[in-house]
Amino acid sequence: MKRAAAVLLTATVALGGCSGGGGSGSAEGATKSVSFAVSDPVTLNPGRQTIAFSQVKELFSSLTFVKSDGSLTYLNAESVKSSDAVHWTVKLRPGWTFHNGEKVTAESYVKAWNTVAYGPNAWENSGQLVNIAGYDALNPAKGKSTTTQLSGLKVVDDLTFTVTLKSPDGQFPVQLSQAQSGFFPLPEAAYKDFDAFGKQPIGNGPFQMVGSYAENEPMTVKRYDAYQGPKPTVDEIVFKPYTDMTTAYTDVQAGNTDILFVPAARMAQVKKDFGDRAYVFQGLGMNYLGLPLWDKRYQDVRVRQAISMAIDRQAVSNVIYGGIWEPATALTPPGEPGTPKDLCGELCTFNPTKAKQLLAEAGGFSGKMEIRYPGGSGLDDLYNAYANQLRQNLGIKDVTATPTTDFPEFQKLRNDKKLSGPYFSRWGALYASQQNTLRSFYTKAGGCVNCIPYYTPQVEQLLAKADAQVDPQKAIEGYVDVQKAILKDFPAPPMFFEKYTYATSDRIAKLAEGAGSLELENTTLVDN
Amino acid sequence: MARFTIRRLIELVLVFFGVTFAIYAAVFALPGDPISSLGGDQPLSPAVVERIRNLYHLNDPLWSQYLRYLGHLLTGDLGVDFRGRSVAERLASRWPVTIQLALTAWVIQVVIGVGLGLIAGLRKNTWIDRGVLILTILIASVPIFVMAVTAQLVFGVKLSLLPIAGVTDGWPTSYLLPATVLAIYGLAAVARLTRGSVVDTMSSDFVRALWAKGLSRRRVIGVHVLRNSAIPVLTYLAIDLGALLGGAVVTEGIFNLPGVGQLLFESIRVHEGPTVVGIATALILIFLLTSLVVDLLNSLLDPRIRHD
Repeated sequence: MKRAAAVLLTATVALGGCSGGGGSGSAEGATKSVSFAVSDPVTLNPGRQTIAFSQVKELFSSLTFVKSDGSLTYLNAESVKSSDAVHWTVKLRPGWTFHNGEKVTAESYVKAWNTVAYGPNAWENSGQLVNIAGYDALNPAKGKSTTTQLSGLKVVDDLTFTVTLKSPDGQFPVQLSQAQSGFFPLPEAAYKDFDAFGKQPIGNGPFQMVGSYAENEPMTVKRYDAYQGPKPTVDEIVFKPYTDMTTAYTDVQAGNTDILFVPAARMAQVKKDFGDRAYVFQGLGMNYLGLPLWDKRYQDVRVRQAISMAIDRQAVSNVIYGGIWEPATALTPPGEPGTPKDLCGELCTFNPTKAKQLLAEAGGFSGKMEIRYPGGSGLDDLYNAYANQLRQNLGIKDVTATPTTDFPEFQKLRNDKKLSGPYFSRWGALYASQQNTLRSFYTKAGGCVNCIPYYTPQVEQLLAKADAQVDPQKAIEGYVDVQKAILKDFPAPPMFFEKYTYATSDRIAKLAEGAGSLELENTTLVDN
Repeated sequence: MARFTIRRLIELVLVFFGVTFAIYAAVFALPGDPISSLGGDQPLSPAVVERIRNLYHLNDPLWSQYLRYLGHLLTGDLGVDFRGRSVAERLASRWPVTIQLALTAWVIQVVIGVGLGLIAGLRKNTWIDRGVLILTILIASVPIFVMAVTAQLVFGVKLSLLPIAGVTDGWPTSYLLPATVLAIYGLAAVARLTRGSVVDTMSSDFVRALWAKGLSRRRVIGVHVLRNSAIPVLTYLAIDLGALLGGAVVTEGIFNLPGVGQLLFESIRVHEGPTVVGIATALILIFLLTSLVVDLLNSLLDPRIRHD
């Protein structure tokens, strides 16, 4: 549930001409308020939050913004430009203010980024800024950092600053979009007391806090009238915390809460329970079946291909996810621009005959196949289904699926290479670029949170080449080359493109789709 | 009486040290790094992880960590969790929820459980007695999870009578459903225990003597039988209250009540050592104190106990 929330990318989108049409006024009386089920956010400081995406998205506005079709637009920035992908100039839109009236200036960004990146602060989103020149000086491996400023940032004037990167990265503008909250600006007021700021942040977004956040209590944000971005359709959003999202599901059924991100455990029944009040949106989540590349039995590529072709992805999705999850046909999700259709081809197509044949050619499989996944996260059905498929379609007698006690144990087993069979692997991208998914799975710098891990110099080189492209189209071609190179080795079968499913109470007429998420602020209420 | 109390207090101190150490060691031994999962889905940079580990002395050996913790604990400082929040404050914000839930459930158990037990015991071997037996066994054999979710669907979704999640409606509305579900499981035990105890007392010599003396039914049952049947029931109810205060993890989870049980569950999941030990310590104290109170109460009810 926490994982699901972590990939939510609720967002403010350009409504453009729509806001001029009659429906946008709320003067006719009742406050248009919607409530959204969330897990407890812990902190609302954008530099530190890891599970409060939907909240900080409404309280802050990012420099750039990715729309639901994957296209990149500007929000707080007027432009983010570079000719060499290393030196970037960011120009801000004039007239923007924080909720306390303070002007949003270049300094609001530069000072915030210095603070997020400064090692001794140990802020959770620090890693998002790792490619800015000077990051290493703020985070020395040993000893204390001698400076508090990123050498790659320079304020030019009130509304302009420049950014120098360590290595060329044409995707930088996409990285500045709505879910990478490490890049959000901070007002002067924040620096006085960050604990207080984390409970009652003052942002530059379309909504401002009503009161302050208290653990496990509903939190309300209301529209900020001086907001310079696109006007939201709702006046107020209430975030209601739940520890168990299946409880939230029942609460939405009972009409006590309006909107929820449907947990995996309820996906099979959501269409039956909610009918046209269930929404399926394109996600940025990519689901793999990791394979233990350190185990001898998995070193022949034909074994890995056989495993991929022995699993009927559509059947698994139908039974467990009500057919909502889409069988994967590439290494990155379709929400990331330029993801090629059907790149994986027959390797991702169910074909038990061919699978058995490949396995036989590779010399068969000896011993027990032990699938492992993190327990307590509602993944049991999925991995048991994989086990059944592999047992039936590959003729391996002894296939088991066993949960670990929890996530930390699972990560330790994987990092120590103590897993001896297929295992859980997924990533929900934080920005809509193939770069994000490929980096997370296939580079050491990606940190391997739920990776495979499969690292080769060739992939690193191809990725660097694609990163260096300023032209988006050329970058996309570069990333597709990376995918092709990886597919030759076929380190781990891509399994599903995750879809994000939402359900609403009968007060909601329509949800607005965002980039791999929901645009909560543009929800249409029934009584409109 | 004083000696009795002092002896119990010394036991309490010994149990306290033993159990806090056992729990601290158990959390310490959990595999995996609690810090690396702080970032949710995102990787934390190794430098950040290392800094947080040092901040919480996670690289020190177990005994050193425990002694440091104990030192703080004895000065009343429960420390902070890995996100820098005060454990004492988090606990303090959750106790009211758990206490309201536990007391509501407990009162339901006392009223209905003791009531049913009395009726069954006084009408021994009638259809009422058997009916109570079958009913209590039936409802107690439904798993709590099933009972809770069914109650939510019936009273929350279908009938829209009661809230099914959270505490925003306050007591008693928010607590009625979870407390009833929680109470049902102790109910059977309380009812059976009361019945057994009443039946025993009714057939004892002194009650027969009371009847023979010509006392009214009301006086025999209301004063003598009730008081003498109360000891085992009271012991059970007090221990039960201790358990309710610490053990409503499933109920608090399903009904989304931000209580201590929920905090404990979440903390174990993310290996929050300081919080887990803090809660466990509080629960141990409650348990030890309630059993101390029970013993004292029992000795008041039955003079034979205190003259041992």
